[in-house]
Amino acid sequence: MALGQSGEIVYVPLSRGDMGYPPQLTKIIDLFAALPEEEKRENLIAYSEQAKKHEPRPGETFSLEDIRKDEECTDTVGVYLTVDESGHVHFRITLGEKVQTLTKAMTSILCRGLDGCTIEEVLEMPSDFVPQIVGGQLVRIRSQTVYYVLTRMKSACRVYRDRLRAAA
Amino acid sequence: MSETAYAHPEVLVSTDWLAAHLDEPGQRIVESNEDVLLYDTGHIPGAVHIDWRADLQDALVRDYIDPAAFAEVCAKNGITRDTTCIFYGDKSNWWACYALWAFRLFGHTKVKILNGGRDKWVKEGRALTKEKPKPARAEYPVPAERKDAEIRAFFDDTLAHSKARKPMIDVRSPEEFSGDKTHMPEYPQEGVLRGGHIPGAKSVPWKKAVNDDGTFKERKELEAIYSEGCNLQPGDDIIAYCRIGERSSHTWFVLTYLLGYSNVRNYDGSWTEWGNRVRAPIER
Repeated sequence: MALGQSGEIVYVPLSRGDMGYPPQLTKIIDLFAALPEEEKRENLIAYSEQAKKHEPRPGETFSLEDIRKDEECTDTVGVYLTVDESGHVHFRITLGEKVQTLTKAMTSILCRGLDGCTIEEVLEMPSDFVPQIVGGQLVRIRSQTVYYVLTRMKSACRVYRDRLRAAA
Repeated sequence: MSETAYAHPEVLVSTDWLAAHLDEPGQRIVESNEDVLLYDTGHIPGAVHIDWRADLQDALVRDYIDPAAFAEVCAKNGITRDTTCIFYGDKSNWWACYALWAFRLFGHTKVKILNGGRDKWVKEGRALTKEKPKPARAEYPVPAERKDAEIRAFFDDTLAHSKARKPMIDVRSPEEFSGDKTHMPEYPQEGVLRGGHIPGAKSVPWKKAVNDDGTFKERKELEAIYSEGCNLQPGDDIIAYCRIGERSSHTWFVLTYLLGYSNVRNYDGSWTEWGNRVRAPIER
């Protein structure tokens, strides 16, 4: 973030080299950062409509499943983590029907953007890219749930890492 | 008992009625939601979107827009002084009632609520569209004033009200009222320093006024909750509050239009102001 000429807060596009976001997520961030507000909304809607595609598929098994309804979200969210043989993570997520549209959109973006990361990469990733994707007008006190899915994904990674450490 | 038993039955329209009158001349359907992108995912054909924060609140002062800005919101949405605005939205019409209340602040009295709101419309499988209407710009004269004194209470009003032990309704959840929680369930934001309620307030969670499908309860049931349960008398000076004024707009609507109380104000500063305010007394 930086201050604009009239003192307003502007979001400066991040450099992937500086911030180290995963390549897939960086592409999405760069796309949204370049879009005017109205097109951001249209793209967020498009991503939200893809959320169901990131649900678990029949027969899939997971390294860790975390399904719960807690205070930070309006409905149940299930996070299903797979860590493949090379240590890369893959997420599936289920969302209750009362979950807000922005949360659905962030689910699609993060399932795509974090696919193939390592556990540590997910855990260390800052969340300051979110306003660039969502846009200043849509980040509200009551819309902090845009951060919720990322928090849950990190939580799943942390539990998985701790289990590994405990088993070692 | 039918809807006509309400004090002002004309302020409610049913989903059946609206579906048959989407293109009624002289009306504008207005969606107002908590979910900031919900309108964009699909809305009632012809509905415009009025956002509680971007359109109705001042960007720099915790206050509502001024009369000139309100006239502009109406003009660009094709609303004239004579247009009947039918509000609906998510969350059992919290924000629809909030927008309606804000319109009333500017003296726009031709207002209605879609009973059951967006959820009922969607569950009934009724038409939704992503096509945004492009209403012709309307002429809306700038209101002479924002009529805060009539239906809005400020901190000082509410403090005096509390000291005088006049009727006051806290529409938040029982856990917020008791101070066990400092946030509404599922909304841990909008922090406050202290939990509890305004001295003298009675706890009547907003949800008591609605059925499972989001429609308003019958008048007899509402009277049992408010008139008998809170001992509200005709002509009473009543204040309702919640955390930021949206749930209490819902209760304000019930008391004003469905039960006919003529002197109800919404304290929109609500608990996010009172619970943080230096030297504001609270009870637990």
